[in-house]
This record gives sequence, C-alpha cells and structure tokens, in this order.
Amino acid sequence: MGTTSTIEIRRPQRWDQPFDPDMQDRDVQWLSSLSPFSEMDKAAFPASTPLDGVLRNDCRIRHVQPGEVIVREGDYGNSAFLVIAGSVRAVLGQLPPQSLGRTTAKQKGWLSAISALWKQPRFPEVRTVDQITPGGSSRVQQHGDTASIFLQDFDGIVTHQRTLQIGPGEMFGEVAAMYRAPRTATVVADSEATLVEVRWQGLRLLRRDRVLAEQLEQNYRTNWLMIHLRETPLFRFLPENCLQKVADATLLRSFGRLEWHSDYRRTRKLPPVEQIESEPLVAMEGHLPTDLLLIRSGFARVCSRHGEGHRTLAYLGKGHMFGLREIVHNTYRDTNQAPVTLQESLRAVGFVDTLHIPIEVVAEYVLPFIRRSELPDPISRDDQQARARHDIASQVPTGMLEFIVQERLNNGRQAMVIDLNACTRCDDCVKACATTHNGNPRFTRSGPANDGIQFTQACMHCADPVCMIGCPTGAISRHPETGTVSVHETICIGCGTCAASCPYENIQMRTMRDPQGRMYFDESAGLPIMKATKCDLCQSQPSGPACQNACPHDALVRIDLGNLEDLSDWISRRR
Amino acid sequence: MLHKRTRRTIALSITAIAVLIAAVATWLIRQRLGHASMATGWTLLASVGLLMLLGLRKKLVMLPILPVRVWTQFHIYTGLFALAIYLMHVPVVIASGFFESTLSLLFLSVAGSGLYGVWISRRGAKRLTAIAGEYRFDRFGWHRRTLADRAAEILTEVGQTGDVPVIAQFYRERLQHYFSTRPSLAYVLVPTSHRKRRLLTELGELDRYFATNVKQAAGRLAALIRTRDDLDYHYATQLRMRMWLAIHIALTVAMLVFIVVHVLMVLRFQGA
Repeated sequence: MGTTSTIEIRRPQRWDQPFDPDMQDRDVQWLSSLSPFSEMDKAAFPASTPLDGVLRNDCRIRHVQPGEVIVREGDYGNSAFLVIAGSVRAVLGQLPPQSLGRTTAKQKGWLSAISALWKQPRFPEVRTVDQITPGGSSRVQQHGDTASIFLQDFDGIVTHQRTLQIGPGEMFGEVAAMYRAPRTATVVADSEATLVEVRWQGLRLLRRDRVLAEQLEQNYRTNWLMIHLRETPLFRFLPENCLQKVADATLLRSFGRLEWHSDYRRTRKLPPVEQIESEPLVAMEGHLPTDLLLIRSGFARVCSRHGEGHRTLAYLGKGHMFGLREIVHNTYRDTNQAPVTLQESLRAVGFVDTLHIPIEVVAEYVLPFIRRSELPDPISRDDQQARARHDIASQVPTGMLEFIVQERLNNGRQAMVIDLNACTRCDDCVKACATTHNGNPRFTRSGPANDGIQFTQACMHCADPVCMIGCPTGAISRHPETGTVSVHETICIGCGTCAASCPYENIQMRTMRDPQGRMYFDESAGLPIMKATKCDLCQSQPSGPACQNACPHDALVRIDLGNLEDLSDWISRRR
Repeated sequence: MLHKRTRRTIALSITAIAVLIAAVATWLIRQRLGHASMATGWTLLASVGLLMLLGLRKKLVMLPILPVRVWTQFHIYTGLFALAIYLMHVPVVIASGFFESTLSLLFLSVAGSGLYGVWISRRGAKRLTAIAGEYRFDRFGWHRRTLADRAAEILTEVGQTGDVPVIAQFYRERLQHYFSTRPSLAYVLVPTSHRKRRLLTELGELDRYFATNVKQAAGRLAALIRTRDDLDYHYATQLRMRMWLAIHIALTVAMLVFIVVHVLMVLRFQGA
C-alpha cells in the first residue's frame, strides 16, 4: 500500500464491434465498386473514419429470398437498406397483422374472463403448441445465422395491395434509422435480392458525401418535414404557402447518442451535476434566441442555473417547443426595450432531434397566424411566466424531476407509479396481474423510488421503445392505435435482444411448458424454447390493466411520465 | 378527479345523511308503535350483504365493474352506516344470553377490526415509507439471511487481522442470535427500537477495548444492527397489515353463520 500504480489498457476504438464480423476485404472491395459508393468522394471522409472503414464496419451484406420480410410497418429500426441486386417491394397499404405473425390479442368477454379463473394452469408459462410456433400465412425461417419471417402467400397479398418496387441503387428505411421513427411500410423481397444494410452510425458518416447527404435531406424534406410541421398544434392555422416557407427555412439538427440505452446504466449512476454537464447543450440560457426549437424525437431537459449547478424545471418530448416565449417577447416588445435572452437552457437527454426555425421566419410566417390567446405572455421584470411554469413543476418536487430524468423514466407512456404513503404492500396488484396472465405475474412490486413514490419495474410502453430495435422477426411491436408494446409469442424466437435492450430490465425471458408441465425443446438445437414476456397492459381483458383496477387503496396508477401535467395532477390529488 | 380529502368529506356527509334518515325513520316507526327493530334488522342485513361484495369484486379483478378502490371506499362507508344501524337495532350494545351476546361481540369485533384496518392501512403505509428500505413480504427470510451472512463475514474478516476475542465474544453472545432469529411475537405486536438501542449501547461500551481496525468492523456491525431493526419493523408492520384482514374475514364468516341463525329465529318467532 501507499504507492499509486497505473494500469495501461487500450482505449476502446470506434469500430471494435463491426456490424458484421464476417465482412471480408473482398466484400469491401466489391461494395466500393458499386454505385453509390463508387461515386463517393473519398476525400470527404476523415482519416479516422474512411469510407472503406464504414463499409467494413457499419455495413453488412444480406441475401434475401422471395417472400422474406425485410422490415415491417411499425418496426423501430436503426439501419437503412440499399438494394444492390434483385428487387424488393414496399407494401404501401396495411398488411393484415396475422400475415406478419402478429396475432392480435382477442378481447375477452365477461364469461370467458371469469371462466379463466378455473382454468389456471398448474405450471408457469404454459402454452399449447400453436401458441409456440406460427401458423396461418407466415412462418419463421432460419436463414444463415438470422431468423426471418416469410409471407406464405406473397403473390396473393401483393395482388390486393398497392405496392412500390424498389430496385438496384435505391435506398429505403433511412428516415426510421436516422430519426428513430417507426417504419412506415412493410418491405418484402420480390425476388432473390442482395441488400447492403447500413447501421445508423454508418449512415451518419456516409452523409459526409455531399451528394448522398443532400439526397437524404431532400428525401426527408419532401416526404416528412411538412407532415411534422402540420402535426404541430401551434401551426394549424398557417396557410400552406407559409408552412412551405417555414419548411424551406427549417434546419435539421441532432444531439446526443441515438443508442442512449447502451450506456444508460453507467450514466444514471453519475451525480446529477455531472449528469447534466454531460448532456449535449441544445440551447444555452443567457444567449439571444436565434431559432424556435421544435422537438422532433427524443427528450430534452429544461434547466436553469441554480447556485453552482443546474436546476431541472421541466422536460420536453416530441412536439414540444423551446424558445417561443422569448421570441414572442422580442417580436412584440417596444422598440426602446432590449431583447431578452433565453431564460433556460435545453439539453439532450440521451438523444434529441430538433427542427430549428429561424426567428425571422417565425416572426413573418408563424406568429401572425397564431391566436393571441395561445401565445405566451411577454416576459416581465419579475418573470411571471417563469413562475407560472415553475408552479406546474412545483407539484412535482425538483428532486423528483431530477430523479425522473436521471433514471430516464420520462420515457414511460404507461409507467406504473405507486404512492408508497398509501400502498399497504398487500401485493393485490401483483396477484391481479398473475390472475389475468394464467398465474404468471408480469412484474414484481419493486423499482426505484423517490419522495414516497415508487416507479415500479413493469413495462412502461415507452415513447422511445428501444426494446423493439433489433428484433429479428418483429415479434415485439407497438399497437398502432393504443401504443401498447406487446410480444407476439408465436414468432418470438427467444433471442433475448429485446430483454437485453430494455434499459429498465422490464422484459423477462421465460422457458415455455405444455399443460402437463413438460418443457418445449427445439428439435434441432435441443435447447429449451424461450419467449420474451412482459406487461401487455391486459389488452385481452375487459377491465384494462388489472394492477390498477385491483389496488384497494388508490395507490397505483398507470401514467404518462412524458407529460409533466399528468404527474403533477396525480401528485396533487393524492395528498 | 376529486382530491382525496374532498372525496372523504363528500362520502362522510352522504353517510351521515343516510344515518340521519335511518334514525328519523326508526323514531317515526317507534312513535307509531311499529317494529322498528325489524326495519333496522333488515337494513342491517342488507348492509352486511353489500359489505360482502368487496370480497367478491377482489376475486373478479378482470371485470370492468368499477375499480377495487371505489368498492373499498363503498365498503368503508357502508360499514360505518351498518355500525350506526346496529346501535339503533339493539337494545343494549352487547345483548344478553349466550347466542345474542356472541353475535353482538362478533359484530362489534368485525366492525372494530374493520376500523383498525382503515387505521393501520393509512398509518402503516406512511410508517413503512418513513423507515429506510423497501422489502417484499415474500423476501423477508432472504433479507434476514443476507444480513446474518454479512455480519458473519465482517467477523471473519476482522478475525483474520489478529486477536479479536472481545468482539467475537460479543458477536457470539449477543449478535448471532439477533441476526439469525425471526423477531419475537412481542416485537411484531408492539415493534420498539429498545433491542436495537440496547445492542448499540453495549457495542459502544466495548469501543474502548477495540483496536482501530476492530472499531471499523464494529461500526459496520452497528449499521447492520440498524438495518436489521428496520427490516424487522417492516416485517412487523406488513404482517399486521396482512393479519388484520385474515382476522376480519374469519370473524365475518363466523358472524354470518350467527346472523343466518338469528334471522331464522326471528322469522320463526315473528308472530309470537
């Protein structure tokens, strides 16, 4: 003791884990000779991330068979696809979920829900054979070392659907990969085809090529930007020509790491001050506002300086704006008054994609079309507005706000929150969950707690469902109408990708048994059949979430933690 | 959604009005020389029937027939109403004779255990939250074993550094039993910090005999003693919150048997 020693190790490198470890030099050379890579300006890539490196480490070559589903509508993906040979077909209409192996949970009637009480299996996770393997018009097929879903009657399905053929040189899936948006169409291999799959990190690097970057941005501007702007409630009275002017002037920016969940466990343990300091700054308190910021995806923290640190005042999610109050004040202020600076800072929590609309454009094309009653009040000397905002947050103590952001709980759309001052720990919620899931509870009453409120470890049906990224068969998906994230067990191959990706550890892998208690084994590998299990919000039950219904003390609620007003309202009512 | 206090005020007001209406009706029947006890008896029986519905609702959690929390509130205020009707129904609080006095005692026990349940549910939950730690009831045994193992590990670690007879003797005589056994029935009924304070005092008094490294180990043992006391407090409070319900249900079943016999006897001798 008493001597200080150092350990010399190699710093992890950017490409320590290539997308496809089997990529060979000849593959890279072959890809380099193909369009659009052959036309790319290699000089645009820095020495640390050359084009060849991107092709070797961020790409993989996929050979797909006719009828193989490449991406499904509603999937969350982190990669884009470039067709090299053959062709694929995007189905523009909606395919029946059953054809993709997604069996919709049937809503039970009262009688069948009650009769299930007498049919509780004696063993955990009991399934019949047809609940384990897919039937109907889809099948899972092992193809190389990956499993894929195949459409059985592809021709029949395509005949009755509007489709778009995508051929060599064309790219698809890039918007979902870059902006963490759900896939908007199902793409199926039309014939035997060869694709290059590029993960989003590689796609961002490829954007260094000016032609590709312009093409990608143009695609986004043409297909998506106007839709995003139209979805913004404040812009609903803007004439089409003004909206177009706004779209033309809008800048697209991204902050933070899209794969925030991979280092979530490490960052959440940082002290709050360090955590906030480590978050990329989107807009800084005290600077003059230059743009109106619109959150496109991800989360951002609104904070202000407080003593030697930063105090969290709110958090923003998709569709929220930042800087409007200051812009409105500066636009309508008296000419003899000085413009105000931003009252708070905005920082990316994990990652955030923003649309930046310059203030001149806001003043000319946006503000005249917003009702005065919808505009924030001017900022007075004692800053009434700031106090009003703080009043909303005051029901949610600052410590809890910091805690929610630190633990990324603001991601939860249906988070299970328990008031520990009312909870008698009777576990009626867990028993009810078990009752509605054939004796298999989908959560345990545990989880992080702050100020007498526990954020229980049950699936939160997140706004950014990172569990869905990487599922090879699309077995875990979000219901397009209810937003419920559920596992379609028949096509779940038990790979555990979703369970490993869920930063909150709310997905469990379980072995399956038949009604006699015998475990199912894979006939070829001889390994037990595993399936991902999680809270499904009791979709099939007539009552909705049984946990919430069963609490006798009004202590448990399923709540959208992305909406601060909901939490504030619940906290104020429970006192 | 209404604030909890507002809901409580409204529910208490409605219950008070219902009791007042029942009292006036009973008084009017008595004024007309009618059988007020028949009216209150049937009202009481109907109330008991309504009170029973909560148990049924809890079993059928999958049905969309108002959440259990609403049924619980209904149960509490119907229970208060039933208690008031009982006082109007009986000539004296505890009736005479073996059968009737047993029924009275059973009713009052059910009502008393119900009121205790309301009190412990509200107070116990707050107390549990105030004490450090959050433990699931099915995991108490595991937590106790973990603490006992950690205490033994500390002693083993410190034992490897030299001669430690004082702390080893104290561990053997006082701590081993404390960590390895469940809390006593007396502690469960009335959890106090007396045992924790006594152990900490005794450990503190030995401090002068400890070497520096043993003092550090003693500090860690003291932390474990506090943790174990918190764990026992959680266990005692959670156990009482579960036991009252079991007792409440058992008394209710016994009361129902007596009520059925009581009603049959009343119907049999109604005209006599």
